[in-house]
Amino acid sequence: MSEQQSREKSGERRQPRTIVLLHWLVAASVFFLFISSWWMLSLPLPSSEFIYRELPFQLHKNIGITLFLAVLAMAVTRAITSMASAKNGKTWLERLALWDHILIYFLLALCCLSGYMSSSYSGWATSFWWLVDFPSWSAENDELNILFSDIHMFSCWALLGVILLHICAALYHAFGNDGLVDRMFRLR
Amino acid sequence: MGSDSESLGAVDLMQNSLVRANVTGLAVLIMLFGLLLLASHSNELLRQIVITPGSSADLGVEAACREDELEEEQLSLQECRLMVVDVQIILSSSPAWFRPYQMTLSSFGIAAALFSIVTAFGLINRQSPPFRSVAVSMGILLLVELAGFLAAVNTGPLLRARYLWPLLLWFVVHLCVLVAAIRLAQQQGEVGSE
Repeated sequence: MSEQQSREKSGERRQPRTIVLLHWLVAASVFFLFISSWWMLSLPLPSSEFIYRELPFQLHKNIGITLFLAVLAMAVTRAITSMASAKNGKTWLERLALWDHILIYFLLALCCLSGYMSSSYSGWATSFWWLVDFPSWSAENDELNILFSDIHMFSCWALLGVILLHICAALYHAFGNDGLVDRMFRLR
Repeated sequence: MGSDSESLGAVDLMQNSLVRANVTGLAVLIMLFGLLLLASHSNELLRQIVITPGSSADLGVEAACREDELEEEQLSLQECRLMVVDVQIILSSSPAWFRPYQMTLSSFGIAAALFSIVTAFGLINRQSPPFRSVAVSMGILLLVELAGFLAAVNTGPLLRARYLWPLLLWFVVHLCVLVAAIRLAQQQGEVGSE
């Protein structure tokens, strides 16, 4: 397929503006969550005197929950639009990209859910943007807290790996000038 | 004669296509670095908000290292104590002017990073890529980094060790993007005039 044909084919499948904006919002949130979490875990352990972790952790949870909602909205929209184009044949590269996206959505959702569950079993309350108090699943439970904390950590490391692959793919398509990356930048 | 103009047209098309590929690549890089920088400046702002003079660590309160918490976080007792020392290091090595300065600078950094993200969108969405805006945004980011560098140089060795290297790295990244944008603007001008 020529470069021109490839560009035209990609151009036909332009993404809705909401998806484009959500994609970049999710990207910004994920980067912030990674960078801030590495830092906030180096803060002194919490006690009545040491409250350094309070704001960063609450912010981390708030952004995480918002991220989960954004990912859910994106996944539903993409599932609907993908069903519409499912009849078109796919190359192996397109199938790989599809699985890459599914994995990103899955890991994002797993990171957010395991983080919330871990927090829930840690005995710390979750107040969504300081407005709505989220329910705790049970009283403090160290074993479950550690279990979900481990799931949170490993799923986030896996997510970072998949994101790096995603960035490599974006650069590959960008310098290949096949119009694929343009779809995530088009706002009109 | 006809085949000459046809081959010249093909060369033009190829050059145009190469410039376009480079523009798209540049947009992705600016977006990637913009998002990372946004996260970095936001984290710095959060750090300055959280670590305040006169807080427990500054007052010399002993670290609270409960055994169950140590197990949960997989920390040794010494690591737990050093976490408080780490906050003390930041507070005692920061001159009085440093915290408000960093808060202002990271706020500017957030605005500048957002501006660079907008220029990345412009590179793809506009018919004629806004290289001037890219150059301006990179210039602002370089100034922010220079201001951060000068501030860090005027603190003690403990803060210099934390701040100088990442600032130098960001400075070089933005300098490279600035040069690439200038060269691409020239290339596009050359292709357009041929």
